Amino acid sequence: MANISFRGVTKRWGAFVGVHELHLEVADQEFLVLLGPSGCGKTTTMRMVAGLEDPSEGEIWIGEDVVNDMSPRERDVAMVFQNYGLYPHMTVRDNIGYPLKVRGTPKAEAKAMIQAAAEKVELVPFLDRKPAALSGGQRQRVALARSLVRTPRVFLMDEPLSNLDAKLRVTMRAELKHLHHELRVTTIYVTHDQMEAMTLATRVAVMNKGIIQQLDAPEVIYNDPANLFVAGFIGSPSMNLVEGRLENGGFHAGLIAVPGVGGGNRENIVLGIRPEDVTVGAPGSGQFDMEVYTVELTGESILVTARAGKTQLTAHADRHFRCEIGERVGMSFDVARTYLFDAKSEERIRL
Amino acid sequence: MSQRRLAFFLLAPALLLVAFTTIYPLIVSLWTSFHDYNLTRSLNMGPWIGVENYTEAFKYDPDFWKVMLVTATFVILDVGLTMLVALGLAVLLLRQGFGKTFLRTILILPFAMSPALIGISWRFMLNPDFGGFARTIGAILPFMRDVDYFANPYLAMGALVSSDVWHWSPYFCFMLMGGLASIPPETQEAARIDGASAWRVFRDVTLPQLKPVLVVAIILKSVFALKVFDAIVTMTSGGPGRETTTLGYFAYQIGFRDYQFGYAAALAYILTAIMFVLSLSYMRVAFRNAP
Ligand SMILES: Nc1ncnc2c1ncn2[C@@H]1O[C@H](COP(=O)(O)OP(=O)(O)O)[C@@H](O)[C@H]1O
Ligand SMILES: [Mg+2]
Repeated sequence: MANISFRGVTKRWGAFVGVHELHLEVADQEFLVLLGPSGCGKTTTMRMVAGLEDPSEGEIWIGEDVVNDMSPRERDVAMVFQNYGLYPHMTVRDNIGYPLKVRGTPKAEAKAMIQAAAEKVELVPFLDRKPAALSGGQRQRVALARSLVRTPRVFLMDEPLSNLDAKLRVTMRAELKHLHHELRVTTIYVTHDQMEAMTLATRVAVMNKGIIQQLDAPEVIYNDPANLFVAGFIGSPSMNLVEGRLENGGFHAGLIAVPGVGGGNRENIVLGIRPEDVTVGAPGSGQFDMEVYTVELTGESILVTARAGKTQLTAHADRHFRCEIGERVGMSFDVARTYLFDAKSEERIRL
Repeated sequence: MSQRRLAFFLLAPALLLVAFTTIYPLIVSLWTSFHDYNLTRSLNMGPWIGVENYTEAFKYDPDFWKVMLVTATFVILDVGLTMLVALGLAVLLLRQGFGKTFLRTILILPFAMSPALIGISWRFMLNPDFGGFARTIGAILPFMRDVDYFANPYLAMGALVSSDVWHWSPYFCFMLMGGLASIPPETQEAARIDGASAWRVFRDVTLPQLKPVLVVAIILKSVFALKVFDAIVTMTSGGPGRETTTLGYFAYQIGFRDYQFGYAAALAYILTAIMFVLSLSYMRVAFRNAP
């Protein structure tokens, strides 16, 4: 059991900064999700905790220890690699059992532990195969089982479910959640799947360009984004972001005018609103009219993307709503659910 | 003209060349090995004597078994040490970052040198009167002063093996470096996180993945070691006695010093047979995954 603490951790390669002055406290038993676009430094952060990468600056603590100078094996962490890192010359059984073998776990005991780990990830029929004879999803599960076979101080999981099919991903997600509840091992979990982040996380750290943009509980990240990046990154389909200005508390952008947003007069504003907070109806029935650009049926609802001048908006319409491309529709915003951002600093403007 | 025929015509000159330079001598020497052919008695090939030249080697010539033992000793020591040195160098060179290109360039030098030159240089350097090596060793270990390296069986063999290891290590170092570099680094990282020490990562993860390349290197080096010749000619001339006479050199002596062509051909064929088996296994390993 251990908390993890990043104190001003920076990772540089030459002039390129992979992770920038990271300050982050991961509480004991927490399930922290790192969420961010590809190349934002998630894997690098994990590798520094594991001891595979030395921080250029700053300290990393696990529990009571500064681990900067510790070798990976002294740190007692388990890691699932993004590209699996399986031992190609060993069977699945030996892959999963390797951490136990290295630690000199008695054979009978190890056997039971391997069996239990393989059961958790539904790999029992494949125990005697080599990794080359497995599919991507099966390999990923071997990597997962290898990390779950022992109880380390810290779990590091780098997109561990990214290659599973949709159904298995949901099952494994639930399995991981339960497992964390059972073992209560501090976990850092990397994903770019928001569903995973939302369902698994105690807290979510949204990263971009090596910097944590916001660190909060999943619902806060979704409902109260700290800046333009988080607003645009979280949510699918993503939040509508419209550049414009405020005039007497009304928002204006090209042909669009939305009254009652608040904030007096201000230039260089980005207004954000989620598709589910935009209503679509007959022309003239809303705050402004737009022309339908595409209509996508998702099953439980209809996504209507419409344009007026240069402005484009996506709205979640009722699944019985019908419209054709090129038709005019009336749109309105739920002004209580709008977010304002400064277009230059990209920071949230709170009224 | 069909594609196949065209291909055949285009290949024909090369095939003819191979036939004349490789297959023809192989057949002639095989033919010779079944005849009594001694140049000191007659310029012409004597009568067909069946496998008598071979029975002579295996049954009656005490030198033959001595030479086989020397050959085996040389091959085992030479291949083992070359692989150890090459692997060690490869691991070190892959790890270090700065001065990489420079070090790698220097390293290839021994391999770029002419084998005869290597042999002569080593003999000079090991000369107790003026050789740099011998003097240095003598300065560090006083009992080694004034020792004639090429008069002592063990030292002569040691010198021969050392020079060959020195000669070939760079080549195999580069070969093994290629093999090491193609091992996915995350397999080694995973092992470190799983709790393995540096040595265990090497033994459990790196070495098994290097095995295919290593096996090819070992077979290849064994073939090279079996046919060692220039080093012996330039350094020991097979001596003292027969202590550094390997099969290839022995066949050469029998043929071109004693003029027993028939017997020499048989000896050469025994060597060829051994190398043929090794080469076959090399092909099997090297082209295991080829269609
Ligand atoms: N060894 C390295 N040398 C140079 N740049 C690197 C190295 N490893 C990663 N990077 C760079 O650091 C950035 C962050 O990488 P990474 O942590 O892998 O991102 P991700 O969030 O997708 O996991 C990327 O732009 C990547 O190109
Ligand atoms: Mg990554």
